[in-house]
Amino acid sequence: MLNRWFTRTFLQEFDLWSGTAFLLCLLILLPLSALLLGLGQRGPMWEHLADTVLSGYVLNTLWLTLSVAFLSVLMAVPSAWLLSHFDFPGRPLLEWAMVLPLAVPTYVAAFVYKQVPEAAIPFLIHLRSSHGVDTYLFAEAFLRKGVLALFMAGVLYPYLYLSLRAAFMVQRRGMIEAAQVLGRGPASVFFSIALPLARPALIAGVSLIMMEVLNDYGAVYFMGVPTLTVGIFRTWTGLGDLASAVRLAGLMLLGILIVLGLESRHRGRARFNETADDTSTPFLRRPLSARASFGALLVCLVPLTIGFIVPLAQLLHWAYLSTRHFGNTIPWQRMGHSLLLALGAACVLTLISVILIYAQRLHPVRWVRQPIRLAGMGYAIPGAVVAVGVMIFLGTIDQRFPYYTFIGSVYAIGFGYVVRFLAVGLHPVRAGMERVCGSLDAASRVLGHSPTNTLLRINLPLIRGTLLSVTMLVFVDILKELPLTMILRPVDFDTLATLAFGLANDSRIQECAIPSLLIILLATLGLFGLNRLLLPAKPRISLYEPRT
Amino acid sequence: MQIKQTLYLTFFFLWAVSTSANEPLVVYSHRHYAADEELFASFTESTGIPVQVLKAGANELMERLKAEGDRTRADILITADAGRLEEAKAAGFLAPIQSEILESRIPEPYRDADSQWFGFTLRARVLVYAPDRVPVEDLSTYEDLADPKWRGRLLCRSSNNIYNQSLLASLIAAHGEDAALRWARDVRRNMARPPQGSDRDQIRAVAAGLGDVAIVNTYYLGLLLNSPDPKERELAGPLRIFFPNQEGRGTHVNISGGAVLKSSTQKENATRLLEFLVSDRAQEVFPAATFEYPVVEGIEWSDLQKSWGRFKADDLNLTQLGGGGKKAVQLFNLAGWE
Repeated sequence: MLNRWFTRTFLQEFDLWSGTAFLLCLLILLPLSALLLGLGQRGPMWEHLADTVLSGYVLNTLWLTLSVAFLSVLMAVPSAWLLSHFDFPGRPLLEWAMVLPLAVPTYVAAFVYKQVPEAAIPFLIHLRSSHGVDTYLFAEAFLRKGVLALFMAGVLYPYLYLSLRAAFMVQRRGMIEAAQVLGRGPASVFFSIALPLARPALIAGVSLIMMEVLNDYGAVYFMGVPTLTVGIFRTWTGLGDLASAVRLAGLMLLGILIVLGLESRHRGRARFNETADDTSTPFLRRPLSARASFGALLVCLVPLTIGFIVPLAQLLHWAYLSTRHFGNTIPWQRMGHSLLLALGAACVLTLISVILIYAQRLHPVRWVRQPIRLAGMGYAIPGAVVAVGVMIFLGTIDQRFPYYTFIGSVYAIGFGYVVRFLAVGLHPVRAGMERVCGSLDAASRVLGHSPTNTLLRINLPLIRGTLLSVTMLVFVDILKELPLTMILRPVDFDTLATLAFGLANDSRIQECAIPSLLIILLATLGLFGLNRLLLPAKPRISLYEPRT
Repeated sequence: MQIKQTLYLTFFFLWAVSTSANEPLVVYSHRHYAADEELFASFTESTGIPVQVLKAGANELMERLKAEGDRTRADILITADAGRLEEAKAAGFLAPIQSEILESRIPEPYRDADSQWFGFTLRARVLVYAPDRVPVEDLSTYEDLADPKWRGRLLCRSSNNIYNQSLLASLIAAHGEDAALRWARDVRRNMARPPQGSDRDQIRAVAAGLGDVAIVNTYYLGLLLNSPDPKERELAGPLRIFFPNQEGRGTHVNISGGAVLKSSTQKENATRLLEFLVSDRAQEVFPAATFEYPVVEGIEWSDLQKSWGRFKADDLNLTQLGGGGKKAVQLFNLAGWE
């Protein structure tokens, strides 16, 4: 049996591409499996955790994830719909501006929004004296947690906005027009056709947002809401029990898988064809009346204000104060480090994604496909935990390979980014190749071109746009990344993110404004590159693989 | 042609010599103050030995040391509490250092009995209070904060923080686990809000009137009072510091300390850096820059510290904090102190 499998599927499909892909996946999976091995072990503190704080972590995580998801849906769905189907003043600008909150790391937003509960202290004191301690405690918690959920949704909704817009733009126009001709109003069209059709995009976007929430450490820590990620850190650093910490991370991963599994089961056999079949018909946006335009503007501006304008304005004010009071200037060296790391790793990651996905197209067999799927798992694991896995793995290599020390080199940190963010590259590259290349590359193969030749002459030129946007997306993600960078970076090597967090952690909130602003600025530049490709009516990318 | 080659060779030789002579000392540090960087710079200036720093959380540094093993580039480990140094010692990372200077200048409770780590600053965990709402006679000990009279009036940060962990460890050492757990539970019940933010945020909340007493380290008040931002100075101005347990075992103190790693190839230079940190020149920097207390006796305090007054420090042997941190986190979990 094994023998047959070996000769039939393994040897037949083995070549340079599938072999390289397999090895790359193995390399990426080794640090993760170093962690998974730990998953089976019961750490010495596990029972203690289960008896005391575990339920609190789980509850906090659940309500935070769900409320951020809910608020992001409120922010992203109406704006994405309005901007794809209607025309109103400011639309062309808003269409790309809606993505800008992606440039704001959650921990930076937390520095800013932490001021809200602080500014409310006089009100809370009044409440305590007039309505008693219980009312006060409730109001305090409600305010703090509410603000947390609101600003996290404000900076994370663009994930959903992007995937929904891509979906709305390619939905079969025929269906929608037919409904309109048959007398359905815009609301009815939206709820009975557009939204159900966009369900895979909705799920993809929401699950990305939920993963970001689960991964967040900075914001929840600053706002005093201990979630599972805080618990992972506390178990690791406070109780010194890495095994239980990894187990908590595994619990989180399990939660994600269950939710995704339930969704796909609920969807059953329904298929959602997202490819446009009538892109030749020009897509007409319905102009809105003045009053409706005002409403539409408001719907778009509220999330944008929460996620981008408020943080930007406050940081600018602080940056001004910090140059005045502290004489702070631009940290050029740190900026250089951030750029070097983010750009370098983004390019490498895109290249690896192309190799993996192309190998999978050439050899659609299980032993190529499954490792690739698993290799994207790092995205669901907190950055610090990934970093520990990478360290264990590289440490083992360093002990046996005396000519070079990987830990503490730029390569180690780049490798860490690849392990953590591979999914961000894989999905759009796969979607791009499937959508754009169709069977063109197969035709080229049939006509006698080698796989490499076909890739260089057919696939790559065709998905050029996707590649650029993928690189930019990864660039932005890495620029904002904190815990992994903190643990794996070389000696004497600060980035903007580690600098900003260090200052904020030391309560030097005004001083952290300049590095925070620089992160936002560079990420915004990256998003320009991303957005340019999103604008045409016929989108060339869907950011995340539509699950069909 | 030959001249050119000779020149190249000479340059190469000079380069090689210069780099080998100035191999940098690598410091893994949990401390994150600008003052440290300035001190390292002046060490380089006076000795010609460059210093490179990796700043990260203490446990992240420990994990990294574990993974790097003998191949680590680190020569020195600096942490902001004795417990972590004790853990590094137990893990076998540290080398014993024979140094007259370190032994003579650092008082005994603030260095390892086996000469593996050495403290260079002291910080006291004190009470900051609003004198218009709290008569000073009401304040006495850490233990007293568990009294119901403080219900809804206390402020303290999360128990994730190492300073809270070592404070509880000192209470465990003084009264045993059961009493320490009761204390943590009662203090948590007395808090004006769930633990959140930094020590500085607790002080701000006292200034704003949300609570009356905050458990913080002295230097955060010092930083606020000396902030270039006039608003922060104004806010902290009316607040006062109280050193608890003066009648009994003394106020809880912890150290920032350094140690030389066993795998270091430059133990001599590393020792010089540790010695530099306890020199008069360096010790005088800490009181003014970070409002920490100098570990060496006879060093002049900053005016602000003088205004707070002398105090009796808990003479608990800091090596006991080693395993205490973990125990403390467990008790905090049981007490519901987030």
